[in-house]
Amino acid sequence: MRWSQIVQLAVIAAIVGAATTAAAVLIPWLPPSASEQRDRIDFTFWLVTGISIFIFAVVVSVILFSVLKFRARPDDDTDGPPIHGNTGLEIAWTAVPALLVTVIAVAAGVVLTQNGNAGSNPLRVNVTAVQFAWSFEYANSSAKGVQATTLRLPLGRPVQLELHSKDVIHSFWVTEFGQKMDALPDTPEFPHPTHLVITPSKLGTFPIICTELCGLGHSLMRSQVIVMKPAQFDAWAKARKQA
Amino acid sequence: MKRLGAPGFFRCLWMIPLFFGIGVGIMAIVRYLEGWDPVWLNEVAVTTALVTIPFGFLAGIGAFDYWARYAIGQPTEPEDHSGHGARSWRDYFRVNTDHKVIGIQYIVTTFIFFLVGGLLAMIFRAELARSGSEVVDTQAFNGLVSVHASLLIFLFIVPVFAGIGNYVIPLMIGAPDMAFPRLNALSFWLLPVAGVMMLSSFLVPGGAFASGWTCYAPLCTDQPLGSVFFNMGVQWAGTSSIMTALNFLVTIITMRAPGMTFWRMPLLVWANLTTSMLVVLATPFIAGSQFFAMFDRVLHTNFFVADEGGYPLGYQHIFWFYSHPAVYIMLLPGFGIISEVISTFSRKPIFGYRLMALSLVAILFLGFSVWAHHMFIAGIAPWLRIPMMVTTLLIAVPTGIKVFSWLATMWQGRIHFKTPMLWAVGFIAMFLIGGLSGIYLGTVPVDVHASDTYYIVAHIHYVLYGGSVFTIFAGIYYWFPKMTGRMYSERLGKWHFWLTFVAFNMTFFPMHYIGLHGMPRRVADYAPQFENWNLFISISSFALGASMIIFLYNMITSWSRGPRAVANPWRAHSLEWQVSSPPPLFNFAEIPQIVGGPYEYGVPGARHAVFSDDGATKLEEVSSDAETEVRG
Amino acid sequence: MEAHAAEHDHAAHPPAANASSGVDARVLGMLLFIGSEIMLFGSFFTAYFFVRVVNGYPWPPPEDHLPVFVAGVNTVILVTSSFTMHWALQSIKRGNRAGLQAGLVLTLLMGTTFLLTQIAEYARVGFAPGDNAFATIFYCLTGLHGAHVFVGLTLLLFTAIRAFRGHYSPEHHHGVELSGIYWHFVDVMWIVVYTTVYII
Repeated sequence: MRWSQIVQLAVIAAIVGAATTAAAVLIPWLPPSASEQRDRIDFTFWLVTGISIFIFAVVVSVILFSVLKFRARPDDDTDGPPIHGNTGLEIAWTAVPALLVTVIAVAAGVVLTQNGNAGSNPLRVNVTAVQFAWSFEYANSSAKGVQATTLRLPLGRPVQLELHSKDVIHSFWVTEFGQKMDALPDTPEFPHPTHLVITPSKLGTFPIICTELCGLGHSLMRSQVIVMKPAQFDAWAKARKQA
Repeated sequence: MKRLGAPGFFRCLWMIPLFFGIGVGIMAIVRYLEGWDPVWLNEVAVTTALVTIPFGFLAGIGAFDYWARYAIGQPTEPEDHSGHGARSWRDYFRVNTDHKVIGIQYIVTTFIFFLVGGLLAMIFRAELARSGSEVVDTQAFNGLVSVHASLLIFLFIVPVFAGIGNYVIPLMIGAPDMAFPRLNALSFWLLPVAGVMMLSSFLVPGGAFASGWTCYAPLCTDQPLGSVFFNMGVQWAGTSSIMTALNFLVTIITMRAPGMTFWRMPLLVWANLTTSMLVVLATPFIAGSQFFAMFDRVLHTNFFVADEGGYPLGYQHIFWFYSHPAVYIMLLPGFGIISEVISTFSRKPIFGYRLMALSLVAILFLGFSVWAHHMFIAGIAPWLRIPMMVTTLLIAVPTGIKVFSWLATMWQGRIHFKTPMLWAVGFIAMFLIGGLSGIYLGTVPVDVHASDTYYIVAHIHYVLYGGSVFTIFAGIYYWFPKMTGRMYSERLGKWHFWLTFVAFNMTFFPMHYIGLHGMPRRVADYAPQFENWNLFISISSFALGASMIIFLYNMITSWSRGPRAVANPWRAHSLEWQVSSPPPLFNFAEIPQIVGGPYEYGVPGARHAVFSDDGATKLEEVSSDAETEVRG
Repeated sequence: MEAHAAEHDHAAHPPAANASSGVDARVLGMLLFIGSEIMLFGSFFTAYFFVRVVNGYPWPPPEDHLPVFVAGVNTVILVTSSFTMHWALQSIKRGNRAGLQAGLVLTLLMGTTFLLTQIAEYARVGFAPGDNAFATIFYCLTGLHGAHVFVGLTLLLFTAIRAFRGHYSPEHHHGVELSGIYWHFVDVMWIVVYTTVYII
């Protein structure tokens, strides 16, 4: 293993790494975030991206180096050196990836637990999915008992959604919130609720889409979530109850 | 008259109606006795047809003839081998027990389904080029994406490796044929049955099955009749797959040439050995899932009916318990092909051969522990996601070992970038991207965001097209001279590779982006912000489709009038290259003696095998592998 | 490298393959096939697990009852048939053709009795597969097993026909051995099905 080759390889890897990093950073891979859970998802995304850039740079640089330096002339009939292996290298490329995925797994495990934590007093909303519409019913808070076809939420308060389906499997997703969960058909006798925790961190209106093929109207099964200031939310709830 | 009794397509003309008649006859009798009205029900009749007509077809062409004679106690004629092999094109259209003929039957048939599945994709990409409904309506769109994926998975990628393996493995291990040649023939003929069945779903009322290739319950039980064509088509394809795997396992274990220990087998053989174990153990689970979905529909059972105590999520667990190993079934043989190609064209032994073999075994075991990573957002118990994430991320380790070992094999080699090598190196790069996006998806919080979006579609196609299909092309070009006795055009091969490589990345890389930004999968229509990217992707996909024309032209013209190939155009060491191109009728005049490893490039005087007509006296084993081994 | 035996295509017979393992190819094939069959039953047991354990569906529900005793008698019949099968195989290994034939016929009779009894019970049990999830699992798990009994009986029938036509000898009796292995699998699988469906 000649040192000059290693140095050249490292230079190529650095260039590939830099180009990949530029592509990762300059292109807006992720849409804007509007929830605390999305922020943690984004952090995990960038952690994996950093590790991926490293692996990608190593592999691609070896490929490029081999293409440039080890190409044989068409009339060259000789064989290469009969290298069967290298125990140290084989241990390294078993241990290092194992270590890297362990780092990812630990970080992701922490994020997953945090993203499933609704806190002590979340807003509870029951979500019902049918072919091909969403409906919402507030189970607590100032909006208790209110039913709606769009989802209004107060800014900053964790909300726990409980999802059910009345027919086939659907899936609830707001891109800006990041959190996604299927809604399963069930009965009171054999309940199978699924749950989602969202803490909205931005005001605005965001689309709700269905992400599990549910039939003909799947691509049209949409609604909206409207995040408002807590005071406005209470006002809306009060007005809805009076109506 | 004799033609009607002799095995062949003519006999199918009366055997198919006979079997179908018996089937619906039983149906009518049962319905009458039970008092169910009406006695004839279309849906039940069609389901009966999907079971009986294939049996009639297989009986007609003669796939069961030998066993039928055996069963009624007639003397089974000793095989005089006069019918072995192929002398004309007609021999490829009958029940043929020669593994080389079967291999080519498999490869040609599966490539036809590749083309059909690809054309279906062109149609729905035309629809997706603009938002709104232009080319097809939503039901047809759902049908197109479902049949596209089903054909490519069950009728192309899974069985084409069976075909390549069928041709190459007996030659590579020094055997005259497979352990069970008649079973082998039956395995092949199940494939056209399955493919025609899936395609016929387009013709029934309601259209093609339209619940995705995953066909989740309870959606699929309420969809039109075409759904049953998927349920049953998978059964026939799965049966074919299991039979082939049994054949491969018994052949590899019991028919290796003397001196070929497991540690002297080429990695293609190791790969097919581990893949076959996956097939035998996992495929019955998709059979189960399809039985349950079909029974819920046709027999009104309650496997997945929540009202009656069924468990809807159960379908996904049972389905994915097969379908995750299925992705390794679609990849491991390709890994074997890449090892052969990279070693041969780098003129170097495989780096870390033993760890390469063991990593295949590791993937076999680990592959059964990760299925719920397809269900992270399905509503499984939240805690279950953590162990599934751990096993999913762990499986990157043996996979990574393989990638690094291939790179180390190339390092300091004498690399000849012939077409097979281009596909192999391209595979490493594309599979790397697909594998890395797999790490993203194995990381649960990211998957929560990216699941069921075009990010998944991107991942799937990077590992299945950039992964599996690239290895398939590598194998086809590599063994083309051996199978056809002719050389393909190297110039056209390179054009095929580069056009595919560019068009493939242009088609599928942007899908990562639009998926993360919120475009879900399996939608006929999408939000306006994705319009431009979808147009770009669609146009690129047409270029990708067009690249197949170069490949087909090369294959057809080279096969019919390409320059004759020598026995060993690549100067490789494995056994298939030590016989003529194409090989003799029974592969070897005498079984060779294996005396060393299959990749001993660069070792002076190293031999993998000796043949008794070598001119030299029979050598004792040249040396133990440890002596000639050089540790770098 | 020179091609070997390239020109001598007129070879009338293939060279004998090397036997690289002590295990017989057909037995290995049958054992692996049974491996896949066990996995198929595994998928049905998985469905049973989801309905009974995860959903907690009453087993059996109060309005239905399982014919535990009749199925128990059936179990004894099936287990006995494995012994007669074993006797048949041992007979031909010792050259006792009459023992082979008698053993096969007894096994066939007992197996057919088992199957017909199961079918009769289906008619008498008082619930249909579509009634509820319990009924579905009951019919499908025992039905899957019944289908395998049918396949086993078919294999045994072919073996019996060949036995009566003078085939098989102490040196060549693979057909008997292989159908025997399959039949023993069917028997053992019934014990598992019976225990999970009827007993526990």
